[in-house]
Amino acid sequence: MTIKDEFTKGLWQTIPPFRLVLGLCPTLATTTSGLNGMGMGLATTFVLVFSNLFVSLLRRFIPNQVRIASFIVIIASFVVIVELVMQAYFYPLFKILGIFIPLIVVNCIILGRAEAFASKQGPLASLADGLGIGLGFTISLFVLGCIRELLGSGTLLDIPVMWSTFEPFTFMLKPPGAFVALGILLAAMNCISQVQARKGG
Amino acid sequence: MRDILKMIIVLTIIGAVSGLVLSLVYDGTKAPIEYQTIKFVKEPAVKKVLTGYDNDPIADRKKITIGEDEKGTPIDLIIFPAKKQGATFAVALEGKGKGFGGLIGVMVGVSKDGTLLDIGITSHSETPGIGARVSETFFTDRFKGLKTNQEVKVDGISGATYSSAGVMAAVTQALGYVTTFSKEIFS
Repeated sequence: MTIKDEFTKGLWQTIPPFRLVLGLCPTLATTTSGLNGMGMGLATTFVLVFSNLFVSLLRRFIPNQVRIASFIVIIASFVVIVELVMQAYFYPLFKILGIFIPLIVVNCIILGRAEAFASKQGPLASLADGLGIGLGFTISLFVLGCIRELLGSGTLLDIPVMWSTFEPFTFMLKPPGAFVALGILLAAMNCISQVQARKGG
Repeated sequence: MRDILKMIIVLTIIGAVSGLVLSLVYDGTKAPIEYQTIKFVKEPAVKKVLTGYDNDPIADRKKITIGEDEKGTPIDLIIFPAKKQGATFAVALEGKGKGFGGLIGVMVGVSKDGTLLDIGITSHSETPGIGARVSETFFTDRFKGLKTNQEVKVDGISGATYSSAGVMAAVTQALGYVTTFSKEIFS
């Protein structure tokens, strides 16, 4: 695997949360609009990139028995940085995402990448992996958020786009609506993959 | 034995370094966070309770010390003055009172002659649709025109007795500050 492959695999092959079915909690809870989903995705990406980088740099220095504890300290530090910076400069977004920002600490994607990838690979590959998976997560959350926002409130990125007699399905903004949208997206992705596989022979 | 020592040392170093970094970030973001909180939480309430000023009450805010907590650290009260041609004619300040679901923060506008101008709810965790109705104007309007030397008593909302009492307690506290510290507040 080259560095480029490490990056691009996160965008389709192992795109979270669809392929890597991890990190569903923020996916379902924060995607009530496209921008909220993107904000959550970018915050997660930041933490993922830097925790991957530092875990990889320190991987020879950290004894095997305390690796999880060390990873969590590293991850938690970056999460607190994100939380403080977001509160200082993006207050409205911070208010909306609320509890889900500190909960990035326990996001399985981040610990999963640290444990399964960054603790075994070099810093450059880990950086590429973190960026790829993070961007994949951001794109997923953004698309899911846009679909829910479009159907649930009739807007796209806060701009009204539906016709005037459109009655919003508020159901889509509720947690069950998130499951429905996630399921439909996953089905669509599987469909595309199957068609591709058939074409490929 | 060597393994255990190594584990202790590594974890200690990682913990110490991240603690240091976080304290630096905290120091760096402290001022912007305070500003943002005031801007997004307090500003709408300040704008609601004060009218007819030509200054920026948020930028002109000042802190006065109203006492000490049990550890001896001073408790600060933030005052938002409304000025016309440089003279303070009214102030907005926040009081807190215990409601049904915790403390209710109420921004209170008071003119120099001791008349309550208007109130606005800044923070609460009351029941939506019941206690949360205290933040609607039909209720907050009932406080207009009260005097600082008067007992704060208005008609509550049926079904939301605790929430109504919480708002009254918060207004009482704010008016109490005005009476006690009127010299500092209107200087």
